[in-house]
Amino acid sequence: MRRLIVVPGLAALLALAVAGLLRSAGPAARTDPVAATAAELRCPACQGESVVDSPSPIAASMRQVIADHLAQGRSREEIRRWFVARYGDEVLAQPPARGPGLLLWVVPAIALLGAGAAAARTLRPRLAGSARRSGARTRWPRHPGSARRSGGRTRWPRHPGGARRADGATSRWSPGPVCSLTAAGLIALVAAVAVAADGLAPPAPPPADPAAVALRLAWDLEGRQQYEAAAQMYREALRERTDDGVQLRLAFALLRSSDAAGAERAAREVLDHAPESPDGLLVLGLAQRATRPADATATLRRFLAVAPSHPAAAEIRRLLDP
Amino acid sequence: MLGDLGSAGLAVGLLAAPLAALLWLRVALVGAPARPARLASTGALLAAAAACVTLEAALLGHDFSVRFVAENGGRHVPAYYTVTSLWSAMDGSLLLWLLVLGGYGALFARGRPDRLQAYAMVVISVVTTFFFALSTFAANPFRAVDPVPLDGPGPNPLLQEHAAMGVHPPLLYAGYLGMVVPFALALAAPLAGPAGRQWLRLARPWALLAWSTLTVGIVLGAWWSYAVLGWGGYWAWDPVENASLLPWLTATAFLHTSLGGGRGRERWNSVLACAGFLLVLLGTFLTRSGAVASVHAFTDSPLGPLLLGFVLLAALAATAITGHHRPATARATAPPLWSRPTAVLVNATLLGTVAAAVLIGTVLPLLAEPLTGSRVGVGPGYYQRTAVPLAVVVLLLAGLPPALRSRTRADALRRLALPGAAALATVAAVGLLSRPGPAALTAFGAAAFVLTGLFAAGARGGTRRWAATLGHAGLALLAVGVAASASYQRVDEGTLRVGETIRVGDVWARLESVQRAAPGGRMTVRARLTVSSAGSTHTAAPAMRYDPARDTAVAVPAIDTGPRRDVYLTLLAVAADGDSATVRLAVTPLVGLVWAGGAVGTAGGLLALAGAARAGRRRRPQPAGRRAPATTRMPA
Repeated sequence: MRRLIVVPGLAALLALAVAGLLRSAGPAARTDPVAATAAELRCPACQGESVVDSPSPIAASMRQVIADHLAQGRSREEIRRWFVARYGDEVLAQPPARGPGLLLWVVPAIALLGAGAAAARTLRPRLAGSARRSGARTRWPRHPGSARRSGGRTRWPRHPGGARRADGATSRWSPGPVCSLTAAGLIALVAAVAVAADGLAPPAPPPADPAAVALRLAWDLEGRQQYEAAAQMYREALRERTDDGVQLRLAFALLRSSDAAGAERAAREVLDHAPESPDGLLVLGLAQRATRPADATATLRRFLAVAPSHPAAAEIRRLLDP
Repeated sequence: MLGDLGSAGLAVGLLAAPLAALLWLRVALVGAPARPARLASTGALLAAAAACVTLEAALLGHDFSVRFVAENGGRHVPAYYTVTSLWSAMDGSLLLWLLVLGGYGALFARGRPDRLQAYAMVVISVVTTFFFALSTFAANPFRAVDPVPLDGPGPNPLLQEHAAMGVHPPLLYAGYLGMVVPFALALAAPLAGPAGRQWLRLARPWALLAWSTLTVGIVLGAWWSYAVLGWGGYWAWDPVENASLLPWLTATAFLHTSLGGGRGRERWNSVLACAGFLLVLLGTFLTRSGAVASVHAFTDSPLGPLLLGFVLLAALAATAITGHHRPATARATAPPLWSRPTAVLVNATLLGTVAAAVLIGTVLPLLAEPLTGSRVGVGPGYYQRTAVPLAVVVLLLAGLPPALRSRTRADALRRLALPGAAALATVAAVGLLSRPGPAALTAFGAAAFVLTGLFAAGARGGTRRWAATLGHAGLALLAVGVAASASYQRVDEGTLRVGETIRVGDVWARLESVQRAAPGGRMTVRARLTVSSAGSTHTAAPAMRYDPARDTAVAVPAIDTGPRRDVYLTLLAVAADGDSATVRLAVTPLVGLVWAGGAVGTAGGLLALAGAARAGRRRRPQPAGRRAPATTRMPA
């Protein structure tokens, strides 16, 4: 009786589920054609990110190009081809299924078939041919009792002190050669690592970014108190990329190399758009003590007002109120 | 001074590890006393610990004469991230690797090891020797620097943004290196004669420990990348992520094929146990050698050829030793088709196929370049077409255990009816109300199938069944979280002037201000936005940090986590005049289930571990005695 209710109920649910699945897979599922196209392309400037996910400027302009093409009525396939023609296959998020790209499908298929066949053989061992299996057992080391599973443990009594095992099988041969061979193998392993490590190329240098190199150099020069040279390197870095942090470091370096006017200029550049920058005010004030002592006190008081807990604040207070 | 001390520690380890290998070999061959061997293994552990402590001391003491400190330390780095910078780059993380490996060795050698354990210790000691040699000769972090710099750049800024830096890498290493014990036991089993029969029972607790720590490590890493990388996702099918997934897949398969004593599946168990650790080594090669480009490739080193050589050596040894080993106990009768052995093998087959797809997708860019001269990339689309559908089928299998326990076919069908109806109803309802796409929709259905089945089966049964229930429920929750966050995430991105808004669904965000600050040389730009969603309002402050020492910018997203959904704001760019900003607003439903599912699954693994350890202790004092057969009830 229950079956009369359950079976039609399940059938109705199945029909509804199929309808839901078909609707979900329908063509309207992809709402945004730009995103769908961008998802098939790889951002050339990123590592493993698709154009749709990447926040990089290149990906943003690629999305713009896709939107333009779509607006001109090109199909997604045409847009894909356009990108491949310009950037090669590597712009595709997934290599085409030819050449090495074929491996992407062949390897999992082989794994599925191989493991599936092995599983079938494990489940139905008789089908695999009993002739081969009968010979297999002889390959086991022939220890007494090895054929019986439950006997394994009882025949290997534990010797608390680690005394020589009462076992006929091992006393047949001496362990000497095995131990010597293993020792030789271990020495060879360590030696191979040592020799190979010696011959290895040093780590590849980071991609040459002039700004990063200049910054690093400036850092090192400052550490060796060569402030003029450091300032030169900071200027070099700033030519590649404007950045307030670097600008302020330049100002400090100039101050230390007794170029107060230069330090003042550098600090003002930061203060122009960030008037409350504590470091900017600090360098400016210190520089003004050399160039325009009249303004210096006011600037340093502003610095103290903006950043009363700055690490240099105590020093400045002492300077202002001796 | 500290540098010499650290080098000395490595040298001691390099002597102790091969000595341990030889001494354990003597224990295995002639039953020599285990005490000296255990002492040597402990010595290797202590050497690794001493090296780690020395490098930590150098980092905390800002001893820039030590190369690793000069490259990764910095006076401006907070103490917590100074401690964690030990594993922020290759050479230091190798020390942590050695410490964990030594810890596993010392733990495994406890008690009164029999011949099987002695052989396994030989394998572990050889692996330890290799990594000590690697650390000493190829990646010695203690080399001296001349001239000594006054300050260092600090670790990669991405690694200084989240407290998970302190736990994620150590947990991941615990997971990776835990695989060495099942691997060593699988290699030792054919050598140890009759004692080898016990290998699976010994290996299971270690596999459970490795699986649990690896699971929590992977999920923690996903959460970390969600909270730090600023793109609103947590899994990108990146090579480093794939490298951590590969051993997880084979370990999951192993935990299932080794159920019930693994009888009739001896070959599967030994292949899967070996595959787990070989994939760990391969993953180390892929991610540590700079061979594949990855957002996680924080380390770049010339170790590639050495690691690849060792992977090949280990694979060769595993094949040579276990290859000729044939199961001695052949199954007298084949199990019925509807039984746990079938389900377990189908599961292993599918997980193996997923692993094959992930593996070829990860290494193809590496293979294709020398083969064709052109660079190829394998994006998420490939995995969504191969790994994801297979994973949905695996998820369905996780709902079967209650039905597999039934004695008759009619009973099995009865037990499947309710979960099946729940799955179909879920697919129908979700599919007709929204369009999540076929993969997500079937994942929802499969998760409903699993959860209903587990719930209907109730909480009867011992520790092991509870553990399985938790593990499978965790997987289902994780699948719901992944499917929902992938298919219902909505994103918009735009350049706003102060006072303008961006909107996603019913979530609005208004730009209030843009602020700049440069404390300690790290320039920070912070945007303040008022976010209003479903009647509530809060302030979010996503930021961008520029680190001049490393010349990198890090986007620090602002995440408002809720039970139903996360509101995720990232600052992408700021105009020079400071009154407009480009922001990305993402609303992701149910992403919290990903972390919750990971936590529940890990709890299942730990519970199974507790059960296995207790069973092991109970069994240990019995000198002889038959073990209670732990087979499934099968339909007659």
